[in-house]
Amino acid sequence: MAKIKRVSLKSKAKSKKASRKKTIPARKLEEKKDVLSRQEVAIEAGKFSHAKSMAMQDYSKETLPSEYGRETMVLAVRDPWWLYTYWEVKGSTWDKHKSELKEEFYKAKRILRVYDVSNIVFNGLNANRFFDIQVREDASSWYIDIGSPGRSWCVDLGILLSKGRFITILRSNIVETPIDGPSWITDEEWMIPDDMFARLYGMGFGLGRSSPAGGVWRKGVISSPGIASMASPTKKQLPRSFWLEVNCELIVYGATEPGAKVTVQEKPVSLRHDGTFTLRFALPDGKQVIPVKAVSRDKLEKKTITPVVNRETK
Amino acid sequence: MHKGYLCLVLHGHLPFVRHPEYEDFLEEDWLYEAITETYVPLIAVFERLVADRVDFRITMTLSPTLISMLSDQLLQERYLKHINKLIELAHKEKERTRWQPGFQDLPSMYLNEFLSARDTFLRYSCNLALAFKKFQDLGKLEIITCGATHGYLPLMDTCKESVRAQVKVAVSHYESIFERKPRGIWLPECGYHPGHDTILKEARLSYFFTDSHGVLHGNPRPKYGVFAPVYCKGSGVACLARDLESSKQVWSSIEGYPGDYSYREFYRDIGFDLEYDYIKPYIHPDGIRINTGIKYFRITGTGNHKEPYIPRLARDKAAEHAGNFIFNRQKQAGYLYDFLGKKPVIVSPYDAELFGHWWYEGPLWLEFLIRKIHFDQDELKLITVPEYLSENPRNQVITPSMSSWGWKGYSEMWLQGPNDWIYRHLHNASNKMTELAKTYPRVNGLTGRALNQALRELLLAQSSDWAFILGTGTHTDYAIRRTKDHLLRFSRLYDEIKQGSIDEGRLSEIEYKDNIFPGIDYSVHQ
Repeated sequence: MAKIKRVSLKSKAKSKKASRKKTIPARKLEEKKDVLSRQEVAIEAGKFSHAKSMAMQDYSKETLPSEYGRETMVLAVRDPWWLYTYWEVKGSTWDKHKSELKEEFYKAKRILRVYDVSNIVFNGLNANRFFDIQVREDASSWYIDIGSPGRSWCVDLGILLSKGRFITILRSNIVETPIDGPSWITDEEWMIPDDMFARLYGMGFGLGRSSPAGGVWRKGVISSPGIASMASPTKKQLPRSFWLEVNCELIVYGATEPGAKVTVQEKPVSLRHDGTFTLRFALPDGKQVIPVKAVSRDKLEKKTITPVVNRETK
Repeated sequence: MHKGYLCLVLHGHLPFVRHPEYEDFLEEDWLYEAITETYVPLIAVFERLVADRVDFRITMTLSPTLISMLSDQLLQERYLKHINKLIELAHKEKERTRWQPGFQDLPSMYLNEFLSARDTFLRYSCNLALAFKKFQDLGKLEIITCGATHGYLPLMDTCKESVRAQVKVAVSHYESIFERKPRGIWLPECGYHPGHDTILKEARLSYFFTDSHGVLHGNPRPKYGVFAPVYCKGSGVACLARDLESSKQVWSSIEGYPGDYSYREFYRDIGFDLEYDYIKPYIHPDGIRINTGIKYFRITGTGNHKEPYIPRLARDKAAEHAGNFIFNRQKQAGYLYDFLGKKPVIVSPYDAELFGHWWYEGPLWLEFLIRKIHFDQDELKLITVPEYLSENPRNQVITPSMSSWGWKGYSEMWLQGPNDWIYRHLHNASNKMTELAKTYPRVNGLTGRALNQALRELLLAQSSDWAFILGTGTHTDYAIRRTKDHLLRFSRLYDEIKQGSIDEGRLSEIEYKDNIFPGIDYSVHQ
């Protein structure tokens, strides 16, 4: 097994917290990732275009139950800094506590007790530390700001009595949050000097500074003007307060003997069974000369009518 | 000299949307649009490359829901109807735009595209999954699987039985279509939770992908960053991470290609632009204006004024951008080769639907890219993960970090104010499904059917797409409806199974509506 060694990323920082700021800046990284992932959201949302309201006549009017009549508390990781928990307590459980605690119950606070259970087998009493969050009585879910990534957590829903006694009603599962930067642990067999890793780290995120590719691209050596001043790939339409658009179309229609051959501006037109025809054109500014020619089925008779249309936009 | 590898990954996925109970269903258009604008153009690219004997390697996810829709007869018939209407519209458009300066070739361009879409569709017996299979059988395409219904796995971690079902149903569905086992998987939304790799191993999957920080924040520190695979500690499944540099070039607002002013403008569609009575037969029967796919303008600039699209200019740009992409990858690979002392593998994954649907010129860009890699240089090579692993079997063992490729890199896209309410219902249903699978092992007949349908409903409710749409906050009705419908159908089946009073008529009706995964076996949910 490889030996485990703790190293800091760039400088030998004094504490983890201080060095987190000095290493490849998590903040900057977040910004980059955020901009990028917003675009990805917009692009993915493009797959679900015109997801507008739909006639839902037979759409079930049934609703999902607000409770399932069980005791449960689930803890989930949203990201390195936040947890999410939801819970459900049976009415009978509350009743039991009410009858035991009487007056005390109504004075007690509803509490989420958040335990840091990193690197231990949690037995309810041996948490590294814990903190309390008071929640409303009607709350059934909560986002918890845990402040430090890369730790294990467990949450109790309980009541805190005025004398400081805490009664656990429900206990969640245990979750582990991801770290918010590179690991401090390296293994000997796959060692890499810190400065090299820092460069690789930046490249992996496309930060560009350490990557020659990013550099070349940024300097615009071969970039096109279109890109440098690009609209935006999310192609958001510009907000406009008031607008007007006017377009003109021209309908040319007529009738002749069924079976005749008709051309409009030298292009053949298909007739309906009754010999009528309709054409529709986008009409730009300027003069349109529109010869309509008809030739009888036996090709002996011909007629031409030529409408001339002028469009002028002021 | 050959200095590194490029692993292009196209993630093809759409949620299962199929409503036999309606004649016309707006959301089914997601599939029809993607067929015309993405899947057919990609198939056309692959066909031309093979015809010209250009060797290439692309890794492509076809999610089980997408494959199911591509192979569904009802949707196939509806697609034909859809494309025939578009062809009719394109004919009318050729005539209507006759006098419009700058528009002359555009309706013909669309007409030809629609005709060739129909032709391609018919050539593969209306089942495009077979087209992709053909290129896999030729060794050009590495098709990987995905979660059965694209369920976001990190938020399913408290119900590992559901994670297992998402993976195992996907794997057996893949086998039934492609006549071999999948080797790799695209975790839905690239969502990795430590430990899920052991479930992949159970399903005999040998690799998956994460976002950059999945590996970069792994423990211990990955020696080669994102430029070599790692093996997951405990399972030995290989994990490859996305290179953000190359992602950025394709979809960043500062450096990305698709926003180039010569490229086609996505938002100017004749479904919205043209006179109502004229366009009415081609939009939704209820009169809701929708995209038709016919768009005449180029991006032009930042303002609202748009100039007509000029295909030749856009084509030149796509070629230039492909050249630029290669140039940057060569630089990157050359630098990494010296820096790492080995050949890097640069993993560039994209949503497949980005190509063609969103970025109209995307398939063309991809074709230029592949041709240029093949003919014009020898520093970069396209590769699949199994090929890379057989050449480089020795890799570092780490535990990747929880991550996704979604907004902010973790689970927030699928866990925020507008969508967090779904998890209490989803988890409850998962637990009930586990209970059913335990209580009724190996049951056939009517109860077996009900159990299988219960699992279908659960899986359908788990699609990350519903949470995603809820999270974007617009047009959420349909996503709410789907989440509720499947959960309600599930609970009713659960109650009926437990009470031993299964309503066969109703069961048959939902089997007919939600007919995905005909070979499903509920016992995988354990």
